[in-house]
Amino acid sequence: MALVRTLRTIPSWVLPLVLGALLIAAPWLGISSGTRRLLLLTCILALVTSGLNLSFGYAGELALGQTAMYATGAYLTGYLAMNWANDLLLLIVIGALAALVVGLVSGIPGLRLGGWSLAMTSFFLVLLVPQLIELLEPYTGGAVGMVGIPGPVLFGTELDTVTFYVVVAVVTVAWFVVIRNLITSRHGVAFQVLRQSPVLASSLGISVYRLKLTAYAVGAIPAGIAGALFAFADKYLSPGSFGFTMAVTVLAASILGGAKSIYGPLIGAAVMQYGPLRSTDFEQYAQVVYGAFLIIAGTLVANGLAGLAKKGMGKLVARWDPPEEDKGAVAAEPDVPLPPLAGARLRAEDVHKRFGGLRALGGVNLTAEPGRITALIGPNGSGKTTLLNMICGYYRTDAGTIMIGDRDITGKPTHRVAREGVARTFQTPLFPEHITVREAVAAGGYTARYAGMPSAILRLPRYRRAAEANEAEVTTMLRLVGLEHLADAEAASLPLGTRRLLEVARALVARPKVLLLDEVASGLDEDEVDRLAVLIRRIRDAGPAVILVEHNFRLVLDLADTVTVLAQGELVAEGEPAEIENHPRVRSEYLGIRQEVMP
Amino acid sequence: MTAVWSGLSIGAVYALVAIGYNLVFIAYTTFNFAHAQLMMFAVFVTYWGLVVAELPVLLIFLIAAAGIGLIALVEEFIAIRPVKGMHAHLVTTLGMATLVDGVTRLIWGDQVLKVPATGSDETLTLFGGRVSVVELTLIAVVIAITIALTGYGRRSRTGLALLAMAEDREAAQLRGINVGRLALGAFVFTGVLAGLTGPLVGPKTFAVATLGAALALKGFVAVAIGGFGSLPGALIGGFVVGLVEALSGRWLGSQFPTIMVFGVLILILMLKPTGLFGRTRERMV
Repeated sequence: MALVRTLRTIPSWVLPLVLGALLIAAPWLGISSGTRRLLLLTCILALVTSGLNLSFGYAGELALGQTAMYATGAYLTGYLAMNWANDLLLLIVIGALAALVVGLVSGIPGLRLGGWSLAMTSFFLVLLVPQLIELLEPYTGGAVGMVGIPGPVLFGTELDTVTFYVVVAVVTVAWFVVIRNLITSRHGVAFQVLRQSPVLASSLGISVYRLKLTAYAVGAIPAGIAGALFAFADKYLSPGSFGFTMAVTVLAASILGGAKSIYGPLIGAAVMQYGPLRSTDFEQYAQVVYGAFLIIAGTLVANGLAGLAKKGMGKLVARWDPPEEDKGAVAAEPDVPLPPLAGARLRAEDVHKRFGGLRALGGVNLTAEPGRITALIGPNGSGKTTLLNMICGYYRTDAGTIMIGDRDITGKPTHRVAREGVARTFQTPLFPEHITVREAVAAGGYTARYAGMPSAILRLPRYRRAAEANEAEVTTMLRLVGLEHLADAEAASLPLGTRRLLEVARALVARPKVLLLDEVASGLDEDEVDRLAVLIRRIRDAGPAVILVEHNFRLVLDLADTVTVLAQGELVAEGEPAEIENHPRVRSEYLGIRQEVMP
Repeated sequence: MTAVWSGLSIGAVYALVAIGYNLVFIAYTTFNFAHAQLMMFAVFVTYWGLVVAELPVLLIFLIAAAGIGLIALVEEFIAIRPVKGMHAHLVTTLGMATLVDGVTRLIWGDQVLKVPATGSDETLTLFGGRVSVVELTLIAVVIAITIALTGYGRRSRTGLALLAMAEDREAAQLRGINVGRLALGAFVFTGVLAGLTGPLVGPKTFAVATLGAALALKGFVAVAIGGFGSLPGALIGGFVVGLVEALSGRWLGSQFPTIMVFGVLILILMLKPTGLFGRTRERMV
């Protein structure tokens, strides 16, 4: 047990780094030249696969275009090495940039429609590769292949096979450091949010389109690098290496190693290179085997070999070192200071919305002042959630305007609205699986305290500062909702009441000007509701405009400064809780109390 | 004009593939990557029936319809049913597509095989262009299928149930629609349809193991142009793709058709990502 504990204190990057060093040093460990070649090809395939993992495993977009980027890198490198300048480092950079361009050009239209359109566009791109090679025959050698690529030269010295291998291994290790730093940074959590719930991602201010495009385009870089290296591996290129079979090989390696894993591509690529790709008979049966594999792996193996290993480790750890079970919330500590939040007035004027023949909202006005709680109540189907969704930009407004302070947000996409300072909770709390409470809450500040991917990969001071500031905020908010002790638990597995409080914490981390709480008390027990009421009051006192959509009438009367009542898409009443409580239409239509006949 | 006829008839084939994609999309809101491969397999079955086994034409239609329907049934059980979600289906149906490709290659090899016409193989001159009876039949049949399916979808109970299911699976279930069986029926129907039309398609496309991939792409572009879920859109999209291909091949040279079709895809995705007849679905929270 003590041993397990000690092992767990070793940082997770130590083992991969040792293995990486071994990979680089392999030629001096007495391997045969055949094994060295296999390792070389494994590195190249792993680079391509790693790019696919980023878009498929992390951003959730199946893309087969890596093969096209790989081909771009390879042919460009081959051509330039023969006709312009033969310097490996320069050519790697050019290959990566060219692949990035291919990624952007195919990703921009491919991601417009979402869903399978990137898969198809990139699939198309792959099938286009042999045709383009044919079309550019004077430069590429066409179907015959590109011959006469010189040996690789680095800093003026020509590399022999051993030193070239070392360069390939170093580049591969360097890339995996890059991807490891990216995935373990805040961007990695953003990817998981994006993949599992685009709705949540956009409400946190993440542009779904932009982040997916970024993942796909960044994923092009290793493919381009791999292409540049591959051009020198055989000093010969032919269209046969870049066809559809290559695309499926990459996909198979990705799924085998685990699409949502950092080092999985190395395992997957190694298995592919040592197994099927080495046999010459395989080519004939390749499609049958890959086809069957994709069906089986797609249905059975959720996350490849890396996933299995992780699960195994998890079980082992749980067995030797059981965590303390405590999933309840403790009372919010009233002495946790809530930093003041700059509020802004939210004004919705004459908002209309139709769904086909159904009129959901017919000219509704709502004003929420900063530092006050505005409750929105009404029977089911009265248009409360529709109104919230229109404020957040999930629905397009048919007519009317919505303003935050003096800024018009009508018709803006959700992530823009979020960046204007609107944060919300959801009727069904949204938490991606497999991420901790701390990460889930920290995602709330992803755009508010943004640090770009390059600074995250290099772990620049800028990134560290942003991450630390965000962490501090997360700690404050977790303390505020009384859940700090659960920081390392898996967010999605917590009970409903706890997840509701977490959603509030996540919304607060973004320091919102306007906070929308959608049925935040439903499903909570009395004790939890009481604590929630205290919490909401404290949030109001900190400054933002709070909009509370709620069915619990007592809670509404207790908390709200102003109440707006909707019924059938129209405003029924507006006023202070006391007025609303005695409003005849509210009593009859919402509370269902029969009116006594006035004498 | 010959190029136009040629474009319309190959476009009809793409429209058929697009209709197959759309039917599965309506029934499952997912994408059956392998549909084009099913059609390719039907073409090979036709080749086998006509050239190798020399069976009567009617029997070939029956064998193709039953055989491809059966493959579709198997696909539903191994690749669609066990997993949920579009991206998971993309992987499994891509697997199915690759599998069918591989099996086809193992049985029939890589050569281009000429599939004889099931009916008349005459060629006519119409509106100043040469067109074969095979091509005219293909165009007419695909238009008829589109009209019939669209009418069926609007009028019959099954059609309406399918549309209801496409709109909201759970609500349809609550109205007493057996969603699982209906979807399965639609899926198998796409297979049967591919089987039935295979003998008509074969003489136009020939039987070759790369046919599936080519049809998959052009069929997808047809769907992208017409809009997901729209059958008339698929028809028009198919014709557009066919015409672009035939005309660019005629005027620019034989290397350009595929590249031009890719250009059309990029263009339509940039200008009107929902397609000509597609609707934007509003997201729900």
